[in-house]
Amino acid sequence: MRAVHKRYLREFFPAMGAYVALLFLSVWWLKTLEGTTARAVVTLLPVLPIAFVIRAMVRVIRDQDEFERRIDLEAIAIAGGLAGFGFFTYGMLLNAHVVPTPQAEAVAIWVLPVLMGCFGASKCAVRLYYRSR
Amino acid sequence: MNNRVRELRTALGWSQADLGEKLDVSRQTVNAIETGKYDPSLPLAFKIAALFALSIESIFTPGE
Repeated sequence: MRAVHKRYLREFFPAMGAYVALLFLSVWWLKTLEGTTARAVVTLLPVLPIAFVIRAMVRVIRDQDEFERRIDLEAIAIAGGLAGFGFFTYGMLLNAHVVPTPQAEAVAIWVLPVLMGCFGASKCAVRLYYRSR
Repeated sequence: MNNRVRELRTALGWSQADLGEKLDVSRQTVNAIETGKYDPSLPLAFKIAALFALSIESIFTPGE
């Protein structure tokens, strides 16, 4: 494994660990916490490590070699299109009341995981494409 | 674009990983260049040419 990818893992896993820990802390704390400002701060605690995950991703994309970067950027472009298309389609179905209407937060919270999932799948597809070309 | 990277590399007895290390790119990238799946940028092409002490046009030639 190249140094740039080792650094990515060194940055990614602690940030994800902190996210999980802060998520549990936040959920537990919110049960007893009163006041909008305090609740907002505690609710947003797990978001901070996710910013570090995104920073790690940006750093690895910038510092890896040009072919690896091309694969990642193509995968991100495809993932953005897929996720946007998926949410748009879901929105149309919601608008027509043909699927049960979820709460807004239930939809919003899935945007980043869906985008990341699409990125992972797209990256596998792009790598396979270049391998088979 | 066609290239002679594999021929030049094997003539020197280097593995793809060796060449990748010298160029500061991954083995996967060296393989993609050698098999014509990826055309390197101008800076990387210059780096390859400098490593083999040849001109770019003697390594890379226009192709499909």
